[in-house]
Amino acid sequence: MQKVWPTPSISAPSDPMQGWLYDGVTAVRRTVRVERDGSGWRLLLEEGDAESLDPSRLQPVETRGETEIYGWKDRPGWRLGLYKPLDPDFAAALPRMTIYGRWIDRIGLWRAAGIGIAASAALLLLVNRLPDLLAPLVPFSWEQKYGDALLGDADARLCAAPTGQKALDAMAARLSPSAGHYKVRVADIPIVNAVALPGGNIVIFKALLDEAEGPDEVAGVLGHEIAHVENRDVTRALIRQYGFSLSLSALGGPVGGNIETLSAARYSREAEARADGGSIAALARARISPLPTARFFERLAAAEKGAGGLAEPLAYLGSHPLSETRRQRFVASARKGAAYRPALSAQEWLQLREICATPRKK
Amino acid sequence: MNSMEGRVAGDQPVSSFTFTGNWREYLPIALTNFLLTLATLGFYRFWAKARERRYLWSRTHFIDDAFEWTGTGKEMFVGFLIVMAAFIPAILVINILAQALIMRGQLIAGGVLIAVIYAGLFYLINVALFRALRYRLSRTWWHGIRGGSNDSGWRYGLSAIWRTLAGAAPLGLLIPWTMASLWNERWNAMSFGPHPFRADARFERLMGRWLLAYLGPILAGGLAAVLVASTVASSTSQGSPLEAVYTLMMSLVVAVAIFYVVFLFLGLCYYALFFRTVAGSTSVAGLEFGFTARTWDWFKLILGNIALVLVTLGVGALFISYRNYSFLVRHMEAYGLVDLDLLTQSRTKAPSDAEGLADAFDIGAF
Repeated sequence: MQKVWPTPSISAPSDPMQGWLYDGVTAVRRTVRVERDGSGWRLLLEEGDAESLDPSRLQPVETRGETEIYGWKDRPGWRLGLYKPLDPDFAAALPRMTIYGRWIDRIGLWRAAGIGIAASAALLLLVNRLPDLLAPLVPFSWEQKYGDALLGDADARLCAAPTGQKALDAMAARLSPSAGHYKVRVADIPIVNAVALPGGNIVIFKALLDEAEGPDEVAGVLGHEIAHVENRDVTRALIRQYGFSLSLSALGGPVGGNIETLSAARYSREAEARADGGSIAALARARISPLPTARFFERLAAAEKGAGGLAEPLAYLGSHPLSETRRQRFVASARKGAAYRPALSAQEWLQLREICATPRKK
Repeated sequence: MNSMEGRVAGDQPVSSFTFTGNWREYLPIALTNFLLTLATLGFYRFWAKARERRYLWSRTHFIDDAFEWTGTGKEMFVGFLIVMAAFIPAILVINILAQALIMRGQLIAGGVLIAVIYAGLFYLINVALFRALRYRLSRTWWHGIRGGSNDSGWRYGLSAIWRTLAGAAPLGLLIPWTMASLWNERWNAMSFGPHPFRADARFERLMGRWLLAYLGPILAGGLAAVLVASTVASSTSQGSPLEAVYTLMMSLVVAVAIFYVVFLFLGLCYYALFFRTVAGSTSVAGLEFGFTARTWDWFKLILGNIALVLVTLGVGALFISYRNYSFLVRHMEAYGLVDLDLLTQSRTKAPSDAEGLADAFDIGAF
């Protein structure tokens, strides 16, 4: 169909433009020319065939040397190459070439990058803060159900000498008035660590008991894990992981994944620092000295120093704050002249250390 | 008559494949792609890949004209979403289930479930490999004609499983057979225009280097073990235990380094011959292909990539895909005549999932 051009050209009829054509049917290259046809344009093949050509329906593909190459929507493989210079009227009627993508071309590269950075920052903020808002809305009983489903109660690695368990429960009760809702256990795992799992399940690894030089150190760690539970950090982490992180890492590929990992580590360090604060408060309430816990971190810090002095420059990658920083907080919280009492009696502490002596049988 | 010679006659042999790009042209593309990918938390990478390929394809000259890449960022993004929606929830659910089973002490059931996941992933990765190749051919045009395939690749995935098992069963000795026969199966399902690709790579001539790549590291490992044992033995007889531990650590590092270099180099020897063999056994429309890169060329490419990244403090990483691509093109050859009258448009279906599956597993097509 021929289109009528609204503004007839004033210039004299120009020379036809020379070029070539692939018709998308065979691979043969044909010599063609494009010339004015009344108010429009006409494509003439060497063999004498001709058809009308509407430049506004062409799609610029690329500029290759002295040739401009165009496609035609609805005609796959159809490619017209025209040698420069193009007729200015013809060139003016052509659509623009896409460079970065249609949306970005429309608003410009720098503005698009600016908008992108702003939107990304907002998204990361949302991913980091939304779990804080949502976590308190999730009933604790749901978390408990999930924790039970995940853990069951048949883990052969959980230790349960009754006297040791009693000592542990006593310690938890001193640290938190709602300790009755949580299940604090010791697992026979040779790693110096403790974890808060969904549903108030706190597991202290046996190696931590062996490593600790007194019950107060264990109390500091237990207080930290209880603070995680009471801050709903586990629910938060689950919301973050399954609600946002996975989709963000998947959508963003390697780049998105790395940014997300960094941002997750920062978020985790904040949560850890909060849990340390909770632990310090719980120790103070229970009149347990924070200094043994500080000494525990001191020993951890010494181990970090062994990492070749890389701990500090790499701190932003870690999920936990530096042990040295944590130690200082616990030291600073100690009050001179306070009447501190040990977290457990000497006998209870002995019983706690023996908690794995009789493995739990179901 | 419209026919084109694959190899132009003249005083000097001129390759039918030439790469006409240069790094100054590519630099603005790489930089803006990086900027936009970073600014969008990686979301732009589909469009970045399309831009990169549009440039690289347009600078790949074959006989008398350049290739054209018509794949778009949008279709790659959509393909990725399709795959994510189809597979990821299932994998996630099975994964959580397996974790719960293991935590409850049901190790066997959990282990079986995890084995099923890995078998499923292996299957999907191979299907992805097939579909990525099919997608790339369907978006690659030359003289206004494209390639493609009507095979969906689901059967190829099964074939990859049994061929891998059969090749690995005799202590991995028949892996070259697995690799060559899978190459054949993949390419025999592809076409360009109306012409099917033909691949009949034989694995026999790969066996020598495979044995070298297979036995070399074992020998090197044994040698390294002897080395470590002897240095430790000599240092324990004289000096403190701390010194002995230190010597052990140091000689272990050296041994692992030697083992690694030997392993890499012999692996490269095998791969260099593999690609020369399979490319040399592949043809389409009367054109025979060839690939000329020898082990030393691959070695230089890899060392060059490492050096580039180190010297530029990481910025050079933006150029690695460019270097790898131009390496492939510069070593490609084709011999024979193309009859342009008979090279008509492909009737294969253009796949809509793009490289979604391959992208999900982060793999390439070759």
